[in-house]
Amino acid sequence: MVTAAPTLMETRPAAPVLPPRPPAAAEPGPAAPASALAPAAETLIDIRQVDFFYGASQALHDVSLAIEHKKVTAFIGPSGCGKSTLLRCLNRMNDLIDGTRVARGTIRIRGVDIHQPDVDVIELRKRIGMVFQKSNPFPKSIYENITYGLRLQGVTNRARLDEVVEKSLRGAALWDEVKDRLDASGLGLSGGQQQRLCIARAIAVEPEVILMDEPCSALDPVATAKVEELIQELRSRYTIVIVTHNMQQAARCSDKTAFFYMGRLVEYADTRNIFTNPANPQTEAYVSGRFG
Amino acid sequence: MASTESSQPKHFLAYKGKFRLFGLTIDDCIKVFFGGNAVVSIVVLTLITYFLFREGAGFFGQNRRNLDIYRRAGLEYVDYIRTQQDDHTALTRYLSDLRLRQLRYLTQERHLSLAEANAKLGPFDDFAEQYGDAIEPIRTIVSDLTEQASAIKTKCGVAEDKLTERQQLLAEGRNADAGRVVVESVDFAAELAPIRATLPAWREASAELTKRISQVLVTAPAMPDPALQARLERFKELNATYVAGFPAIQRRLETWDYTKPVPAAQALTSFIFGREWLTASFWQDWYGVIPLLVGSVMVSLLALVLAVPLGVGAAIYVNQMASPLEQRFIKPSIEFISAIPSVVLGFFGIAVLGQAMRALSQVSWLSWVPGFPYSERLNILTAGCLLALIAVPTIFTLAEDALNNVPRAFKEASFALGATRLQTVIKIIVPASLSGIISAVLLGFGRVIGETMVVLLCAGNRIAIPDFTMGLGVVTQPVHTMTGIIAQEMGEVVQGSIHYRALFVVGILLFFLSLGINYVAQAVVRKYRVSIG
Ligand SMILES: Nc1ncnc2c1ncn2[C@@H]1O[C@H](COP(=O)(O)OP(=O)(O)OP(=O)(O)O)[C@@H](O)[C@H]1O
Ligand SMILES: [Mg+2]
Repeated sequence: MVTAAPTLMETRPAAPVLPPRPPAAAEPGPAAPASALAPAAETLIDIRQVDFFYGASQALHDVSLAIEHKKVTAFIGPSGCGKSTLLRCLNRMNDLIDGTRVARGTIRIRGVDIHQPDVDVIELRKRIGMVFQKSNPFPKSIYENITYGLRLQGVTNRARLDEVVEKSLRGAALWDEVKDRLDASGLGLSGGQQQRLCIARAIAVEPEVILMDEPCSALDPVATAKVEELIQELRSRYTIVIVTHNMQQAARCSDKTAFFYMGRLVEYADTRNIFTNPANPQTEAYVSGRFG
Repeated sequence: MASTESSQPKHFLAYKGKFRLFGLTIDDCIKVFFGGNAVVSIVVLTLITYFLFREGAGFFGQNRRNLDIYRRAGLEYVDYIRTQQDDHTALTRYLSDLRLRQLRYLTQERHLSLAEANAKLGPFDDFAEQYGDAIEPIRTIVSDLTEQASAIKTKCGVAEDKLTERQQLLAEGRNADAGRVVVESVDFAAELAPIRATLPAWREASAELTKRISQVLVTAPAMPDPALQARLERFKELNATYVAGFPAIQRRLETWDYTKPVPAAQALTSFIFGREWLTASFWQDWYGVIPLLVGSVMVSLLALVLAVPLGVGAAIYVNQMASPLEQRFIKPSIEFISAIPSVVLGFFGIAVLGQAMRALSQVSWLSWVPGFPYSERLNILTAGCLLALIAVPTIFTLAEDALNNVPRAFKEASFALGATRLQTVIKIIVPASLSGIISAVLLGFGRVIGETMVVLLCAGNRIAIPDFTMGLGVVTQPVHTMTGIIAQEMGEVVQGSIHYRALFVVGILLFFLSLGINYVAQAVVRKYRVSIG
């Protein structure tokens, strides 16, 4: 665990900052699938009435959503409905696009509004990892790819880096396949391996949340199954938000599902309910494939 | 089968055949037009290359003859003795420098007035005068021999001119006229005899010189300061080496043989490694490219040293950090620089930059800068600064392209891991585009080494290898360049003369240099593509 993280956060002592993560006491228990009977879960990310604009065009309308701690939340919906947009709002990746703005509403992580001017966006991104739709390892060695985030934080101790590389690659179920060629270029791996490398890279910095934007869309069924297995393993330790177009995947992997349509949140509920007993007819039409 | 498919396909075939021009279809015509354009450029390139080589190739034969006459007419012999005189002159200069230092020491440290100091230097002046006079006998011999050797060379020249005249007449079929042209062949052995007869006189003079130097050196007055005394000791050492070189000169004079042919390779090596470019000289012309090459390379390197940080830095800024508004302003502005005619830049260099830099160099608190203060307004520094301005747009544009080609996904991945903008640029963007940036720099180098107008106007045009013992201060010296010399001299030379051809060979060298740079730049880019994919 990166115990130094809370201090790194506090760039300005007086500023509202993300509170430190709770101690790492929460032991990874047996992966307990969410059930309606489970005790009320703790909210980690609280999205309230968000309107989001790309220049003049509005991509999100009044979205409110509470993402729970150590649960897998799936975003589904037809193409262009704003899933990626919302996901990228959570670690403020949209800041990189000119002319974007959150016009209304707040996104709070552990109660801290991430759009406050004093929030350190660098620290925010360290604590919210992201895996992209298209795998994007750096044109560096596998080892360098995984240690990149740690090196950014100033870690240079070789033994510690070695340890993290092994742990992350094991965590991403890639260790056995690449342990003999850690110095080979990350670009030399297959598509599925590259995507798992990206996941390993994201978990190497021990984030609290992992955002995944259609992580399997470019993968074949076998590689997809591997990534899904990986999500099952990661769910006990991380809060995961996954965007997917694959209904089965959402049903298999997630605890909660949010259905979006035209930039609006239509329905948000336990995955089981969404797929078996949706409250909204649009949701029903979409999940049963009768959309259009 | 044909009958069932009716007339439809037949009509289609007939339609295509209708538009024929000289038996070609429209498609063929278009192909011929574009193909023809490509062919024209290739043909022109081939012609230029061929012309360059045809004109340049003759140089080596002519240069060999040039060197041959240098030997046969005895110029080489005289030059052996002349080195003795030149080295002595250099040593005399060392003494003048020493006098200047003493004067400065006496006036500044001892606070003597100028007159007092000069008076105090009386003994030293006597010493220096005696030292200077020691060379007189040798000087006399050299000036006599110079006249004689020149006369022989002139005879050779006349004979050669007559020969070509006769050949020309013969070629025109005017045999009678040709018969009337008298070619006096030069009897080198006879002509050289009086020159070689001076050997005993030289031996005597040389022995005399040795003796006088050793006598004079003992009378050297003591210096007022230990540092200066050390310089005087150094002077004595230099003299010892100088005198020790006399036997070698003697050996060379004794074994000198005017019939020994000049090796063919020397025509090439005397060009490539020649340290002197001397034309239209009454004595001997030398076509050594080194001073020009060094000038070109020095100016271009200085330009790159200035332009690379500017160009690459601006490219990184515009590509990675600037707001769209800044991008819209900065990019065209930098690209606009390349629209300035280079002659205007050169003019600016002469009128403003050179003047301003010299004034700056003479500011007293800047005197710690190597080479400052300097007096030559036009020098490597002035030309290099302006060439940098020319290189910046090239480097900027190409480097910006290279940065642009870095997939956006790398940048996003880096940011998502909590990298700052600067970290992303340094650790991801620049390494990923490094080969593109290197090739941009190389192409910038190619651009400036071929640049002519600015160096012609601003480099100072002194054909000499700059004095590298000055360290970094070497950039304050004037040089001449390969491009500059071609532009300057090509208009005045006689077509077909050795000088004319020498300029072509310089052009060929420049051509190969640019070719090499471009090739390396492309190779770097090719390698980069493989490593990314
Ligand atoms: N960079 C951008 N600039 C302008 N508009 C954008 C940009 N990115 C997305 N949009 C618009 O915002 C809306 C939501 O896009 P978003 O990428 O969030 O959809 P999505 O749900 O992720 O779709 P998909 O499933 O196809 O990835 C779309 O209408 C899209 O056109
Ligand atoms: Mg998307």
